[in-house]
Amino acid sequence: MSAGGGTPVRRRWRSGPYWLALQVALSGSLLLLLLLPIVALFTYAPFSRIVAAAENTYVREAIWLTLYASGIAVLVTALLAIPLGYLLARHRFFGRSVVESLVALPVAVPHLMVGLGIFFLVLPGSPLYDFTNAIGFPVYDTIWGVVVVMAVVSAPYTVLASQLSFEAVDARVIEAARSLGAGGATTFITVTLPTALRGIVAGLLLTWARAVSEIGGILILAYTIYPGGPYNGPVTNTISVYIYDLFQAGNLTDAAAVSSLFLLVAFALFLTVRIGERAGWLPWRRGDLTP
Amino acid sequence: MSEWLVDAVESDLDGFHLGPVDLSLAPGRAVAVLGSSGAGKTTLLRTLAGFLRVRRGRILRDGTDISDWMPEERSLGYVPQGLGLFPQRTVFGNVRYPMELRGHLDADARTEALLDRFHLTGLRRRYPARLSAGEQQRVAIARALAAEPELVVWDEPWQALDVEARHELGLVLQDLRETERIPVVVVTHDPGLAFSLADSFVVLDHGRMRFSGGPTDLLEHPPDAFTARFVGFENVYNRTSLEAHRDRPFPAWLLTEAGPGGVAVGNPEVVPTTGVPSTWEGSVRSARPSPDGLSVELAVDELMVMARLPRPWPEPLPTVGERLRFNVARTVVRRLGGDAEDAR
Repeated sequence: MSAGGGTPVRRRWRSGPYWLALQVALSGSLLLLLLLPIVALFTYAPFSRIVAAAENTYVREAIWLTLYASGIAVLVTALLAIPLGYLLARHRFFGRSVVESLVALPVAVPHLMVGLGIFFLVLPGSPLYDFTNAIGFPVYDTIWGVVVVMAVVSAPYTVLASQLSFEAVDARVIEAARSLGAGGATTFITVTLPTALRGIVAGLLLTWARAVSEIGGILILAYTIYPGGPYNGPVTNTISVYIYDLFQAGNLTDAAAVSSLFLLVAFALFLTVRIGERAGWLPWRRGDLTP
Repeated sequence: MSEWLVDAVESDLDGFHLGPVDLSLAPGRAVAVLGSSGAGKTTLLRTLAGFLRVRRGRILRDGTDISDWMPEERSLGYVPQGLGLFPQRTVFGNVRYPMELRGHLDADARTEALLDRFHLTGLRRRYPARLSAGEQQRVAIARALAAEPELVVWDEPWQALDVEARHELGLVLQDLRETERIPVVVVTHDPGLAFSLADSFVVLDHGRMRFSGGPTDLLEHPPDAFTARFVGFENVYNRTSLEAHRDRPFPAWLLTEAGPGGVAVGNPEVVPTTGVPSTWEGSVRSARPSPDGLSVELAVDELMVMARLPRPWPEPLPTVGERLRFNVARTVVRRLGGDAEDAR
């Protein structure tokens, strides 16, 4: 908590022209590297094909399924990963480093391996296969398979983000709440979680982005998705698998067109969230944490 | 208001041992906890507030042993260092929080009353990060009072405050004692406000209680070098530095007065004119005007001595290298040290 109110004085770094030119050149190169593939995608397919893709029910179904499954994956992750982040932030226990490494592992390995691991875990005939079928969560070629893969590969972002956010909550703020009469759970709900929320939501956004972009594990576990569980539409694919199929079949124009369409959808979604955050739709902006 | 008794309390934190500490707090009394960094001041407050386990001894509130009670059960307004304001809540939300927890139906009205009392009404919609240090302090005390505490425990209340805000906060704490009769425990590094507020003092050093008593006792018998400096002795010498120069007259004389913890000497009086019999002589290192008089730094037999000339001091100021004579009255010399405490 710093002293003094009012507007902070922003100081400019003084820098020479060559230093500035170097910065611009390097960051410019990266921006080009990010931008040019997108330009290539959009220019390969004629605009009419992008419009046609948007009108195609199969494409729409695939996009819908991808967003639907990733949404469920984010909810599941929020429920399970935030508590783990809190645990790692607040407690020192034997094997903590092992847990932290385990959490980071899905990010560090090819996601095909994650898919394979789950594949072997619920191998047909195994007890877990029978169990998941019995309770109505069959994973092979269903939306649940997609959700499981997405959750496993993207949960680390939420675990890490919530761990860091919880660690950043001043312990003295928590102690003040306790002393004012709040029990442990009340303090968590009324003070700790709201203070850490901004960082946690940033982690959830990353989780969602990572879930949407998943392909490796899905190729193995849910290449084709049949109706079942929360998904009752026609037989479909995730958008990633669908585009991969088009490419494999040599249909480059449609691969480019569908990719362009999905890029627009994803961009629009992320832009909406960003603008929403700037405009203060989300509660923490009002707190204006930066003095 | 309750009567609190801290009876030989000990606690541990990461290998640091605190105690045994004794405190007694009747309604309307205030204790200042003094000590250098790492002395255990914050550890003591956190033990009182219930965040550290009491290993030995007892904390009694009106005769009830509350040593094992949870922090939220103690009715104790703990204001941590840095205040611990909720960054997500406005001034209003911060002050209202304790009453929300208790489900008070008139929480809004009571919050308004507290805001009014601490001149925070105009700032009610602000977030803590947008407040000055003094305003943050007022929010912290208003919020602590909203929980209707039986004891206020405050870590470094005057930290980061300017002179005006310090004065104002001193009045607030004074008011807590006198009108609300809430006992107060403060940790502070500010001698002026400690003496204006507290009627008893506790000095901690490496987790041990070196002193417990009233202000007069503290001024007359500072237990260690830290306390001696705190209460205004500017010349504090440990035994080692005196023994290194024991062949010279001034250190040798000081040694005869020193205890195991050394010796503290109040500002000696410079004798400005020749002809007056005076005991010592030193050469001027610097002379700086200050609100308390002219501070003259003298080199005497390898030791530095801060002497003072009351206002008005003679012009021109003494020059560097000039020889000055000074007297050390017996009444300003204090033996420091250890005794039974060191034997432990």
